[in-house]
Amino acid sequence: MLAYIVRRLGQGVVTVLGVLLFLFLLFFQFAQPIDVAKRALGDKARTEVIEEWLSQHGYDKPKYWNGDAPGIARATDTMLYVHFASMLSFDFGKSDADDVPIIKRIREGAGPSLSFTVPLFLLGLPIGIVLSLFVAYFRETYIDRAGVVIAVFFMSISTLVMIIGGQYVIGKLLRWFPISGFDPSPDVIVRFLALPIMIGLISNLGSNLRFYRTVFIEEIHRDYVRTARAKGAGDIRVMTRHVLRNALIPILTGVVLAIPFLFLGSLLFESFFGIPGLGQVTVNAINANDFATLRAMVYIGALLLIFAQILVDISYTWADPRVRLE
Amino acid sequence: MLGEVVRRSVRAAACIVCTVAITLCTSCGNNPYPDSDAPAKIVYSSFGNPPRTLDPQVSYSANDQRVLAHVYETPLEYHFLARPYRLIPGLLTEVPQPEPMVSGSVRYRFSIRAGVRYIEDDCFELSQTGARTREMRATDFLFALQRIADPEVNSPAITTFEKLAGLRGFRERLEQLRESDPAFGELRIDEQYARAGIIEGARVLGPYELEVILDKPYPQILYWFAMPFTSPVPWEAIAHYDGEQNEPFAEVAIGTGPFRLARYDKQSRIVLERNPHWYGVEHPEWKAPGATYPSEGEPGDRENGLLNAAGKSLPLIDRIELLYEKESIPRFTKFLQGYYDASGIIKESFDRVVTEDRLSPEMEALGMRLRKSVEPTIYYLGFNMLDPVVGHAAGERGRKLRQAMSLAINTESYLDIFRNGRGIPAQTPLPPGLYGYDPEYKNPYRSPDLERATKLLTEAGYPGGIDPQTLKPLKLSFDTPDTSAQGRLTHLFYTDSWAKLGIRVEIEATNYNKFQQKVRDGAYQIYQWGWIADYPDPENFLFLLWSKMGQTKTGGPNSANFSNAEFDALYLKVRDLPDGPERIASIDEMRKLLERECPWIPLFHGELYSLYQPWLLNVKPTGLSSPTLKYRDLEPQLRAKLRERWNQPIHWPAYALAGLIVTAVVPGIFTFFRERQ
Repeated sequence: MLAYIVRRLGQGVVTVLGVLLFLFLLFFQFAQPIDVAKRALGDKARTEVIEEWLSQHGYDKPKYWNGDAPGIARATDTMLYVHFASMLSFDFGKSDADDVPIIKRIREGAGPSLSFTVPLFLLGLPIGIVLSLFVAYFRETYIDRAGVVIAVFFMSISTLVMIIGGQYVIGKLLRWFPISGFDPSPDVIVRFLALPIMIGLISNLGSNLRFYRTVFIEEIHRDYVRTARAKGAGDIRVMTRHVLRNALIPILTGVVLAIPFLFLGSLLFESFFGIPGLGQVTVNAINANDFATLRAMVYIGALLLIFAQILVDISYTWADPRVRLE
Repeated sequence: MLGEVVRRSVRAAACIVCTVAITLCTSCGNNPYPDSDAPAKIVYSSFGNPPRTLDPQVSYSANDQRVLAHVYETPLEYHFLARPYRLIPGLLTEVPQPEPMVSGSVRYRFSIRAGVRYIEDDCFELSQTGARTREMRATDFLFALQRIADPEVNSPAITTFEKLAGLRGFRERLEQLRESDPAFGELRIDEQYARAGIIEGARVLGPYELEVILDKPYPQILYWFAMPFTSPVPWEAIAHYDGEQNEPFAEVAIGTGPFRLARYDKQSRIVLERNPHWYGVEHPEWKAPGATYPSEGEPGDRENGLLNAAGKSLPLIDRIELLYEKESIPRFTKFLQGYYDASGIIKESFDRVVTEDRLSPEMEALGMRLRKSVEPTIYYLGFNMLDPVVGHAAGERGRKLRQAMSLAINTESYLDIFRNGRGIPAQTPLPPGLYGYDPEYKNPYRSPDLERATKLLTEAGYPGGIDPQTLKPLKLSFDTPDTSAQGRLTHLFYTDSWAKLGIRVEIEATNYNKFQQKVRDGAYQIYQWGWIADYPDPENFLFLLWSKMGQTKTGGPNSANFSNAEFDALYLKVRDLPDGPERIASIDEMRKLLERECPWIPLFHGELYSLYQPWLLNVKPTGLSSPTLKYRDLEPQLRAKLRERWNQPIHWPAYALAGLIVTAVVPGIFTFFRERQ
């Protein structure tokens, strides 16, 4: 297993280097830093001001090879080297839009993002599993069919419509919660997070219900379930101890892969509900042509995803002792 | 047995779900603010894009100025009510007058208000142990000018302030010293500036007196002293935050303004609190123009209640809360719920809010007020005058072609279709409210007239829009960096209008980068652009057609590359003359020249429709960055009463939904177990 993990980590390093190269091409070859400068300084900025800005941000260096520099600096005094070195050392530098250290912004954004995504995840998972077990247990009754109809209905509506509709109905018509806003104080945070979490739960429920139900029903028809029943195991024990345990592998894949997104926040929810998390940092960076922040966010996202995939593999061995990582 | 367990579990779960749902719904309510804030005079507003910088010498965007304008002060300000715009003293005791010198230079003497103090901050420990603040002095104005000159600050105002004698020399010396001696860059910022020598055109004559000398007359310089670039900054703040603390100065605000920055979370909430040490609060007896509500305005202001607070000491409110609100729909909904005090009108709700150009009865019943204001802006279609077909080289043919194309565009239809009628059709580059704007003037080429356009086109040598060289419709290109669907619709409006003359104009939509490259190469024909006033002087619009500002050749803002010696001479005259009959006559001549040459098709001046809550007082949009919130007032009791009336939670759907779920599911469960048994 250790050898497998080392091999996967090695593959992860190669993937990260590939991601970094891709990011460099995307941000420096296909786009031009002068666009960033103009966005940061405004359309009215004069040429010499733009040139000074490019110089201050290191965007005036040659991209791949600095023929004018002495010795090793020919390779190191280039945008390519600086990009790789800064990303690999997690020294993301300053934002192109407002010169704020990017690491500070990430630190500030992680809390609000997690305060939304973690409760959504922790509530969504058991609710999805319990409801799926429930409809799977009552399969082929009208409860099951109604569950399927409701799930398909929610799956057919885009998250954006859910958000706008939820804000309209719950925030505006029924006036239960603030339509948007955020305050991290423990006494009021629930007031602001209740509506986005409620909408997030409903929005995710459809696909979760359909997926988990399918997995559970497939398991319910297996021989070991019949054996367990024949041995006298009760319904609740069969569903929770046997069916749920054996259905864990496909569930785990989705769950563990969702973990990176807990840190990265949600672009749509944070934008519509004014939650100052990392999703919003990314949206603002896109709007402001803030390449430096965008590069950092994409890089962190890639790292988390690669790490999560390794975790998924390891979790399989825990969920199913038959799985061996070699 | 199992059936009984499930039945009990279901009942218990249903009860818990119902209780939690109902408790949540009844305990919250939709008020996003603490109840304790209700009696306070707090103005609630929102921001869609966070400020980029709070460094006054660097900031050049409206987003930044929403904060900056209240925490820093400028030497001069605009009169809150008077139109056309008028300068009043801010941190100065009077508006300085130009004094021509024998050398051809012009001198201004700035008399600075004594007794003005900065907000309290740790940075002042640098100048005096234990000090938390200090008095603002003339040296701080000089420091601001030195910062504009500093290449590391990268101030966008450098080009203008290079008109000050010796400023460019100071900049060059500073740059040279930093390059030649790395240790120099490590010195404290005030020491660096001191070693770089003096700026001859900015001399401190005393603690409260500064002399500013321009190499040549430039009357508009006073407007620049009403922009944040010239706000005094204490050197201690730069040394502390950019030096010792390594925390960007652009993220703090150490000013003298009526408000201080209490919270600066750009991703969520910005809070400005009344500055208890502001000179207007500590010394209301001074009756300083920038710290007292004006007693005169333009006609109609008295009737609109804008003079009710005349003579009162400012500011009239306690706090300003700016909340991050990226999306327009929730922002507008919160305004309708009473949680924001003012709002623009979103496209989706325009018909609901405005009917027949007036506030709808529904909104009137809520007590809302609608204010329309024309912004000092111009949106136009431009011709690249370097182009052989539509430009200077085509001579009379090109002139008539441009005039014909101008006659084909119906701006009123454009405004109705794309902007809900919000805008004033433009006749010249000058927007209303500026000196030289004539509301009676009608440009003979700006009223849609297809018959006349067709005739002009024939005279230009393109009968029926046919190019005699190819015997096919004349083919032109419309170049734009806007690739959005909405952008394409507006571009189609223009090309369809020209198609009626038989001219085929193709839309060349490219990304911003390629568009810029085209502009640099002069490889474009027709484009759309706009300009927002930096200051309310005709020069700020007419310079957009000055040949020295040609974009392709110099990178300046004359994107039409218009070059006309007569226009240039008139421009220089208008630039240097004070307001008066001679200046007006020159502006009229320029207007006639532009009417004939037609390098632009002036489209419209933007019009802002703003909604205000009934409790908000003293609202008058300015269109320029100006500290208007210190004049604002509100009635918190009325606000609390209306908010409560508008936001009573409705609980019954929660009970109904819970009941519906229980009623629908429980019989199914019973049936299931009955059948199994």
